[in-house]
Amino acid sequence: MFRAVWHIPAKGGANFAKEPPTDPEQDDGTLPVMVIPAVEISRLRKTYSVPVREPGVMASLRSLVKRTTRDIHAVDDLSIVVNPGEVTGFLGPNGAGKTTTLKMLSGLLYPTGGQVRVLGFEPSRRERAFLRQITLVMGQRNQLAWDIPATDSFELHRAIYRVPRPEYRRTLDELVDLLDLEPLLPKPVRQLSLGERMKCEIAVSLLHQPKVLFLDEPTIGLDVTMQRRIRTFIAEYNRRHGATVLLTSHYMADVEALCKRVIVIHHGKLLFDGDLSSLVQRFSPYKTLTIELESGSDRIGDLVDGIGEVMRSEDGRVTIRVPKSDTARLTERVLASLPVIDLTVEDPPIDDVIERVFAVERVTSNDPPEAHEREHQSQ
Amino acid sequence: MASVVRLLAVFLRVGILNELQYRTNLYVQLFRSSLSLVTGLAGLGVVFSHTQTLAGWSPPELLAILGVYLVVSGVLRFAIQPAMERLMEDVRNGTLDYILTKPEDSLVLVSVRAVEVWRLADVVLGSVVIGAAVSQMHDRIDAWQVAGFVIALVAAATTVYSFLLILTTLSFWFVRLENILVIFQSMYEAGKWPVDIYPAWLRGALTFLVPVAFATTVPAQALAGRLTPVALAGAVALSASLFTAARYFWSVGLRRYAGASA
Repeated sequence: MFRAVWHIPAKGGANFAKEPPTDPEQDDGTLPVMVIPAVEISRLRKTYSVPVREPGVMASLRSLVKRTTRDIHAVDDLSIVVNPGEVTGFLGPNGAGKTTTLKMLSGLLYPTGGQVRVLGFEPSRRERAFLRQITLVMGQRNQLAWDIPATDSFELHRAIYRVPRPEYRRTLDELVDLLDLEPLLPKPVRQLSLGERMKCEIAVSLLHQPKVLFLDEPTIGLDVTMQRRIRTFIAEYNRRHGATVLLTSHYMADVEALCKRVIVIHHGKLLFDGDLSSLVQRFSPYKTLTIELESGSDRIGDLVDGIGEVMRSEDGRVTIRVPKSDTARLTERVLASLPVIDLTVEDPPIDDVIERVFAVERVTSNDPPEAHEREHQSQ
Repeated sequence: MASVVRLLAVFLRVGILNELQYRTNLYVQLFRSSLSLVTGLAGLGVVFSHTQTLAGWSPPELLAILGVYLVVSGVLRFAIQPAMERLMEDVRNGTLDYILTKPEDSLVLVSVRAVEVWRLADVVLGSVVIGAAVSQMHDRIDAWQVAGFVIALVAAATTVYSFLLILTTLSFWFVRLENILVIFQSMYEAGKWPVDIYPAWLRGALTFLVPVAFATTVPAQALAGRLTPVALAGAVALSASLFTAARYFWSVGLRRYAGASA
């Protein structure tokens, strides 16, 4: 299924800065060209069969002859379409199936069922033409050789991808400039800090100018400044090259800054696919009111009790959650009845929303978690 | 094949440039190589103080075996073993994923990307020893013998590579396997001597179970002019089939890694 229609840049053109129209009706006068979605997943499934280890010596001995295995549905009936140039956030708690999905998209894992297409290719065939156009960055795993300077690893990468020298030079200059790599390049990678290493890791994986970027927690473990740095870079890279980015992160700041669209999965199933703002709308029918009261007002909790649910209360500041539809009425009531110095009305922090998404899923899900894991025995 | 050579050249160049910064490693390696040469020569000295031939091998012929042993172990430690150790590490850490997302034959990549340059000292030293042995063996050596020797040597390196690759590929199933390479190392030590001197059962094991005989004895036989064309063809056939088997096993391992069979 095709969701949008527009022109695709001929070859990673740096002039592809224009935001692609997301509505097929918005024609700019040129003939619409049907393009292949960057990523197309339909009814994707991945099931792992893992041995069940029971406690105790006897059980361990028994398992030598009779192995009990359990099917884990890491990805279960997932369908997604990502258009070229989109930056999409892929969210879910640990073990939701995000990494498994990214691995199937980059051709590292064979799907158990369903279809995967990336740039029109079937990833698991691992065709060179396909691999040349994608990149995979895993925040928790390094690909740069430890003992040699990053610049040498870059050179090896150039050889593997057979990037012509002038083109390589150009890309490298751009990356060095954007990521401020100059002082890092001659040092052996083991001497770099975590953040510096991550910058080099990202640079090396972009040397062949991939069209699709799979970033699995690229900012994990980095300090706030470095996270912001990486984030700005990804946004800039996407703007300059029109690359499609599929990103997983546990830092909501990453998602808020980069992704207009988010895909939320849980237990391998799709929970939500849409704009970040509508995620907040849909899963959080609340606003937060942060109220600062005059000093000396004691028993703040009691004062605001009955207006909304108290989330935090400290040093004369209290944060309460109120139903969205009642926001105006309740704000009025707070202002009228309490010695208020300052009052802020906000959407709840995205972390809280995400937490709610999973909480809601647990409540409304009609199949209990055990249903995801069916046990069977094999000799 | 062209891509293997091209990539190996690039990796080698980067490896050499980096190793040049650590000259101590060169001296340590030269010392190690010399030590293994001296102990090898001392062993030969002890044997030939008691007898003039060993299982039909004359002193220069045994010297040739020592030379081949050094050359092959140089190749083994220069490229094959570092690559295999790195591969096991990558399987354990999950970083093999990065290799598999590259637009290049994964086996070529894992085979060329780790080199320990100074280990080539063994190859140089071994070649000198072979030269010395040959000069004592014959007044002149004919082209056929040289060709036979080179072919046998290439077959030897291929055999050792394929054998180690098969062992290493097992790490797709059993994650902790470091010791398996150490075991091979100690078996390979037996290659310092012609396999003829060992009892039949051990000779069989060193020929067919762990192909040490093909790694050292056979090339040395070629130098001594004692290798029949049939035996040479056999060695080539074995290395070719072992290589094919290793490649196939590798692809099975990869499919397992990707969960295609699970």
